[in-house]
Amino acid sequence: MKSFINKTLAGLMICMLPHVAAQASSHREAPLIAHDPLADNTDLYAFRSPCDTNKIVLIANYIPFEHPAGGPNWYTFGENIRYEIHVKNSAITSGDDIVYRFTFQHTDEDNTTFFNIRLGKQNAKTTYTCERSMDGGLTFTTIVSSGTVPPPNIGPRSIDNATVGLGKSYGALITSAVATASSGEKVFCGPSDDPFFVDLGGAFDVGGFRKAGRDGLAKMNCHSIVLEVPISTLQRSGLSVASASSILDPNFVIGVWASASRRTITTLSATGDKPASSGGWVQVSRIGMPLTNEAVIPIGSKDRWNANTPYTDAAYIPFFRNPELALYMDASAFGGAVPGLTDLRIQSNSLGAYDFRNGQPGLFPLKGSLALIGTALDDILGYGTILLPNNSSPRAVDILPIFYTGVPNMRPYQLATGKSGNPLASGKPFINNFLPTLGDMLRLNMAVPVTPRTSADFSSLGLIQAAVLGLTDSRFNTTSALEFIPNMDGFPNGRRLEDDVTTIELQAVSGVVLAAIGLWYDDYIPSSSPSPVTANLLSVLSFNAGVTKNDTTFNACFPYVQQPWRGYNGPDYSAEPLAIKNLGIAAPQMAMAAYPNPFKTSVSFKYKLPGKGNVMISILDINGRLIQELPQGNVAAGEYVAEFNGNNLVPGNYFAKLTVDGAVVNTTKLVKSN
Amino acid sequence: MKKLHLLSRLKGYGLFLCSMALGLSSYASSHREAPLISRDPQADNTDLYAFRSPDDPNTVTIIANYIPFELAEGGPNYYGFGKNVRYEIHIKNKTTTMGDDITYRFTFSSTNEDSTTFFNIRLGKQNLKTTYICEKSTDGGMTFATIYTNGVVPPANIGPRSIENATVGLGTTYGTLMSTAIGTASSGEKIFCGPVDDPFFVDLAGAFDVGNFRPDGNPINPPKDGLARFNVHTISMKIPISMLQKGGLSVSSAKNILDGDFVIGVWASASRQQIKTLTDASNPTYSGTWVQVSRLGMPLTNEVVIPVGMKDKWNASTPYNDLSYVPNFSNPELALYMDESKFAGAVPALNGLRIQAKSLGSYDFRNGRKGLYGLKGSAAVAGTALDDALFGTVLLPDSVSPRAVDILPIFYTGVPNLPPYQLATGKNGNPLAIGKPFVNNFLPVLGDMLRLNMATPVTSRTDPKFSSLGLIQAAVLGLTDPLYNTDTTLQAIPNMDGFPNGRRLEDDVTTIEMQAVAGVALAAIGLWYDDYIPASSPSPVTVRLGRVLGFTAGVTKNDTTFSASFPYVQQPWRGYDYTLKERF
Repeated sequence: MKSFINKTLAGLMICMLPHVAAQASSHREAPLIAHDPLADNTDLYAFRSPCDTNKIVLIANYIPFEHPAGGPNWYTFGENIRYEIHVKNSAITSGDDIVYRFTFQHTDEDNTTFFNIRLGKQNAKTTYTCERSMDGGLTFTTIVSSGTVPPPNIGPRSIDNATVGLGKSYGALITSAVATASSGEKVFCGPSDDPFFVDLGGAFDVGGFRKAGRDGLAKMNCHSIVLEVPISTLQRSGLSVASASSILDPNFVIGVWASASRRTITTLSATGDKPASSGGWVQVSRIGMPLTNEAVIPIGSKDRWNANTPYTDAAYIPFFRNPELALYMDASAFGGAVPGLTDLRIQSNSLGAYDFRNGQPGLFPLKGSLALIGTALDDILGYGTILLPNNSSPRAVDILPIFYTGVPNMRPYQLATGKSGNPLASGKPFINNFLPTLGDMLRLNMAVPVTPRTSADFSSLGLIQAAVLGLTDSRFNTTSALEFIPNMDGFPNGRRLEDDVTTIELQAVSGVVLAAIGLWYDDYIPSSSPSPVTANLLSVLSFNAGVTKNDTTFNACFPYVQQPWRGYNGPDYSAEPLAIKNLGIAAPQMAMAAYPNPFKTSVSFKYKLPGKGNVMISILDINGRLIQELPQGNVAAGEYVAEFNGNNLVPGNYFAKLTVDGAVVNTTKLVKSN
Repeated sequence: MKKLHLLSRLKGYGLFLCSMALGLSSYASSHREAPLISRDPQADNTDLYAFRSPDDPNTVTIIANYIPFELAEGGPNYYGFGKNVRYEIHIKNKTTTMGDDITYRFTFSSTNEDSTTFFNIRLGKQNLKTTYICEKSTDGGMTFATIYTNGVVPPANIGPRSIENATVGLGTTYGTLMSTAIGTASSGEKIFCGPVDDPFFVDLAGAFDVGNFRPDGNPINPPKDGLARFNVHTISMKIPISMLQKGGLSVSSAKNILDGDFVIGVWASASRQQIKTLTDASNPTYSGTWVQVSRLGMPLTNEVVIPVGMKDKWNASTPYNDLSYVPNFSNPELALYMDESKFAGAVPALNGLRIQAKSLGSYDFRNGRKGLYGLKGSAAVAGTALDDALFGTVLLPDSVSPRAVDILPIFYTGVPNLPPYQLATGKNGNPLAIGKPFVNNFLPVLGDMLRLNMATPVTSRTDPKFSSLGLIQAAVLGLTDPLYNTDTTLQAIPNMDGFPNGRRLEDDVTTIEMQAVAGVALAAIGLWYDDYIPASSPSPVTVRLGRVLGFTAGVTKNDTTFSASFPYVQQPWRGYDYTLKERF
């Protein structure tokens, strides 16, 4: 088997590499939270640090679609919100084993301006406290106090300019905001480039995926909470990774989820004061696995899902056993109506027997058979009650464990490599992030080595690419021995910033994991097909969701996420207004002007003659009575000024009459003021 | 009286037209403008427009927009009006009553037609499908009558599959969805509520990076429309003028085009019930009295006039309770950045804007200075609007409120057709003299409203003299165009129906307000810039005036067209395939 995989899959890699694909992870994913952006948990990442392999990086992002120029009140963490990152490391405890809780405060340094930053002062300046619980949330200890959230990256005048702004580089602001907790974790909270990428416009137009998709998160920021935690802090017994028994040591699995909570009662002020919050805390947003509440949970259940925890997730199991997305990859359901997913077709007759389309039996015909003994699907020694519950839950065997339990390093969850055609046989191990708590978490085996981001093998297809390498690459597919295969540290074994989770999940829903463990696509006929790498499998593997990578780079080290997009880019413009040049305004021709007007003592008259004439200026009162005459004599064409001393006039209105050769040319109202 | 002779020779002014047309510019009107409301986008009132309908001049169109920065592809739960929000449009047409004379109230509800999918639209079914009712009060909000029920809000313009496709989508066109959503109230108003292109335009990044404006057309760094390709939710109404006029008169009864009896003040708001309870986090309940959380009258008031410390309170207040904000108009913060004795040196992008410090050799309008206060009580102001017997107590209150004479009335009372608020045309050097009328939207309720004289004729959008500089351009024409600058007769000057006499969708309110803060309205009425020396300057059209008029705030027009007929705003950008444009 492995030799022919070797031969026939040789070309596969070439197809795979350039093709990667993408949906928003959890941006505006449920009706209620879409209206509460500050508490909207958009994404969660957990990966072993490429920079410090004894540590795990946890990143929880909040606040979707932050416009980099979204002032004058830029986005920031909310004050009456508990932002939490939850870690589970033991299947025998109930609830969380570790909780990190972040709370934020705002202050205005100069509330007399409408600008966010002016003259070195910052408004809505945000600081935070981080607390940690090691007892399931019963008690918390403060591990960072007075943490600093960098300001929004408004522009060069607000940030770099030392006179009107803060006089620092944005990089320096980020660096100085990185804190070390009293318990040893590195912590950063602040705005960052949203690392997620997806063709939102295509995905949600009833699955209008397209090859050249458009990243709906491009050039948008979010707010990140980044933690870098020693593995020994997260491992349930305090072991360092050096103690791991193997790279898939099950004792090094953690489950991670994040949330945002608000108090039960918010009372608005009638006078615009800050709202009052009271009552107990209730969760309004959460995220574990990407896209769960975006593309798995239907709209009628989305808000409730956000209010639940992974420990109360049983009600949603049906959506994973028969996922909605699978309807669009099934020609007998809506597959024909979603051409964007034509490349994805679920096995309906795998190995001539097994139908994994929604509502079909999947592997249930094997229920209770000897073939399952010793596998994870066994009801007694395995997890068959969950993974093979009945004859109409075909994806309880693959999609459910990916989201709800993690995948164990047990048969059948090993690569087809070495299985010699029997998917239930032992194969090449490629994953163990099994933590069977039956709830939605991002599960990571911390013992799995890091794939360097600069490695030629690094792939945003994560574990799917590890499977492809384990099946096809001669470095890895000659033995069923446990080996490190690049990208075993990728999604859904944790989640790296680079991982293209949309493509991975769509491929997974279309059955690619089933194929990887030997439940090949329908067009593989065991008796006659030359290779299991069939047109259907290649079609799935070559699918991508339209956007395959972020719109900028990441940082090699903490905090890994990239600086937030700057609102103002490019040079300042401080030259003259453009329209001035060549304005060519000519002097207006004025017969007579009086100034100052109103006047107190004397007033001057400027008059202009187009030709020679005898000029008289007469001062009249409001009733037209002559007060005084100012004869100018015979003058030539040109401009002249005459002065009149009106010091002795009582305050009031007067007129000045300009007469040329006896004809009144102009009458001007004069005002004598006090 | 040969003013004719005098002003007919101001030919050189014609060049203004070119300079103005080329050089226009822009700020977000009220998008994320205060700390609290920036966290409640559904209730965030972004813009308000009021203009006489170009295609139906017996009506006035009022447009109130909500929900800033709607990403066209922002699914799967696209943006929509809030179910627990009261959206209101308020109209004042009398100064003898307390509070609103007419109030329109919109309330929305939504239903899911197929809650088993994560898609918003699938197989002809729409989730979060929104309907509304409109109620109207003509007794100051005491009682409301329902004038429209089962109003339909069109869905998000997601893409061709969701909208046009007859199998997976709704099987119609977006244009059809919009036109069928236009309703007529039982009382006769036309109504449309739905997503549309955000008609506002502004270089957000430039404006808010401590005033880093980039003028339109500059070769160094082009301005970026921060609202480009974003949608908002609009409430648009087209209302017969006779329904808005205080005595029920139609516009044909107006005494003239500046008839003071045809002035209305308009403002919009959003309110929420005071208490939100999350006993069930997936089903919040609301109780208590309604409190206002957002409002808008004049554009940019809460964005760039009201400081951070007062913004939230301003949103909770009403125009009938606006007195505490008067100092922010009498000495506006923006003026500090146009005044070299203050921070102007630190804001080079506003170099073109300098407030009069010695107008006509005497008058200093910089913050904290006397302005025209030296004339207080003098015969010079007798009979003018500045007379204490008229409005002098408001407009010339003390010796340290220089802009109470121009910025305050523009925002808080409207501008009367009285000296000194007439163009310098015909004034012969005395700003307090009678000049050429150009505005009368005076409705002396001391509070922030968008004031419109409904009798002012419509400038056709296709008129070559139509200008997004609104009333400033009307002033320029009245001073310089031989058609208008020969005498003080009241004439219809193009763009007299433009901001700040109401607000048209096209009006570049950011540039207009920046120029106004720089004193351009003062100049228009004859309080020229410092470099005009009456004794020696050949013309009041000096370099400084030219610089102010040449200033643009950056982006001078919307990123798409408008519709020639109701609801005038443009279809929302389509999530699937709108053309991209830089926003920052």
